[in-house]
Amino acid sequence: MKEKILVVDDEEGLRLLYKEELEDEGLNVHVAASGEEAIAKLEKDKFDLIVLDIKMPGMDGIEVLRRVKEKWKNIPVILSTAYHHYKQEFGTWASDAYVVKSSDLKELKTTIKDILNMGRK
Amino acid sequence: MGYDILSKVIELTDSTDALEKRLKDVANLLAHAFAFDQCAVYLSDQDKHVLTLAVAVGSKRGCQEEYKENEGLPGLAIKKGSPIFATQSKPPNETWQGILDKGTNGFKTVVCYPIKDDWLHGVLYLKNKEKKAVTLKEKKLLSVIVLQLATAIKNYQCIINLRDINTKMKDMQDRLVNAEKLLALGEMAASLAHEIKNPLVSIGGFAKRLSQQMNLDSPHMSYVDRIVKEVSRLEKLMDGIVHFSKDESYVFLSEDINIIIEEAVAFFEDDFKRNGIAVVKELSLHVPKIDVDRQHLKLVFNNLMTNAIQAMEKGGTLTIQTYQEGSWIVTEIHDTGGGIDPNIISNIFNPFYTTKETGTGLGLAITHSIITNHKGIIEVNNNIGVGVTFVIKLPLSDKEGRILKAS
Ligand SMILES: Nc1ncnc2c1ncn2[C@@H]1O[C@H](COP(=O)(O)OP(=O)(O)O)[C@@H](O)[C@H]1O
Ligand SMILES: [Mg+2]
Repeated sequence: MKEKILVVDDEEGLRLLYKEELEDEGLNVHVAASGEEAIAKLEKDKFDLIVLDIKMPGMDGIEVLRRVKEKWKNIPVILSTAYHHYKQEFGTWASDAYVVKSSDLKELKTTIKDILNMGRK
Repeated sequence: MGYDILSKVIELTDSTDALEKRLKDVANLLAHAFAFDQCAVYLSDQDKHVLTLAVAVGSKRGCQEEYKENEGLPGLAIKKGSPIFATQSKPPNETWQGILDKGTNGFKTVVCYPIKDDWLHGVLYLKNKEKKAVTLKEKKLLSVIVLQLATAIKNYQCIINLRDINTKMKDMQDRLVNAEKLLALGEMAASLAHEIKNPLVSIGGFAKRLSQQMNLDSPHMSYVDRIVKEVSRLEKLMDGIVHFSKDESYVFLSEDINIIIEEAVAFFEDDFKRNGIAVVKELSLHVPKIDVDRQHLKLVFNNLMTNAIQAMEKGGTLTIQTYQEGSWIVTEIHDTGGGIDPNIISNIFNPFYTTKETGTGLGLAITHSIITNHKGIIEVNNNIGVGVTFVIKLPLSDKEGRILKAS
């Protein structure tokens, strides 16, 4: 069975790119364009992993992360941001991994695979 | 004669010529005035305890380039702390036999004065083929001359030190200016950077997909590849600029450095294969965990490995070692990519300095700043024509240090 993952990013181009690239890796990929949409999808559906952008208008990634850890604490979260400047007070330590956005999706893909493999064991 | 020689020596040593020229003039003068066949001056290296030939005049016979600590007559004179006079005689006398200096072969009278004041600066070594006596007056005169030589050498070294300090200060000034530039640049860039990064990732990501789906012989392949390459360069540039912006923050957690290295190596597996690079890992199993920022440290290894891969385009060996050295955890990354041109090596840590067509010149600048933020040290050992070793030393955390001492 394909693992179901949720990609949350306010940038349309990135949602499309992530969806296509990750589907090529054999994943079942759903997308959400905002924090609010992500929570709505999480309420309805069960996911194996979330890739979460930090900087989004409205409900940002940190807030989404906080809610996920409250309500669905078994779903691993990979935070994805444009740059390396995460801050401790953001609570990013509570995420399972942290990946800097790059047009080379290698790191994101390996991180996803590693986390899913860990969950399977 | 004494006064003449002395005033001449003072005149020669006080001249503005290079030290070597002055020593040579004095040696010439002494060889003539005191009638010796050979007159040499050796200078001592404070650290290495060796004497190196600075100048020699007259016969070149038996004139050694170097004397190690305690070696030969110069060694003896230094140990004794006073001049030695020796003449070959029949029956053989004790001093002569005790000298054990090959440099005395073919000579019958040798004289060696340590050149020293508070410090040892070297020795004055005089030799004569025939037996000759050195009078008391001559000995006194030589003692004064040697003192004058010591002063000249000391002054010269002071000047060299001053020059050294001067260059270091200039260097520091340059760095400060650089740092200021970076700060201003960083602040401005950070605000723009976010808006630029997302579309860049999109462009680059889709260009990559396009190139993967294209026919290898498509005439458009090279266009797409160019887009991929340029975007990746822009991304790195943006990463680099943002790195220097102020809101960069670190999260230090106790980590196993070997694991971070393993991850970085795994990340480049394809590149190693493509370039024909063998990877040798000598990771000590006994390195304790240390407090580091994992993401930043990963970036350090990524940058260093990227450079190594780029330097070994036609294959080679990448060796990575970790070990503990006192209160440091040391990582050495060694490549066989031919090393760095010594003319440019002082620039490699400067931001935007690159010798590559598509380089950003930020890799090592960032690496340096990350290591500094860890209170660590980064050194580069350049083996010209062979390869480079980057040595990273990260401090053990206090807690670990205490545990180590207790156990
Ligand atoms: N392993 C290495 N072997 C040879 N030269 C190196 C190596 N690492 C760095 N250099 C030199 O240092 C320069 C600066 O490196 P870096 O700051 O990483 O920027 P970039 O790689 O973008 O040029 C390089 O352009 C190269 O000339
Ligand atoms: Mg580089």
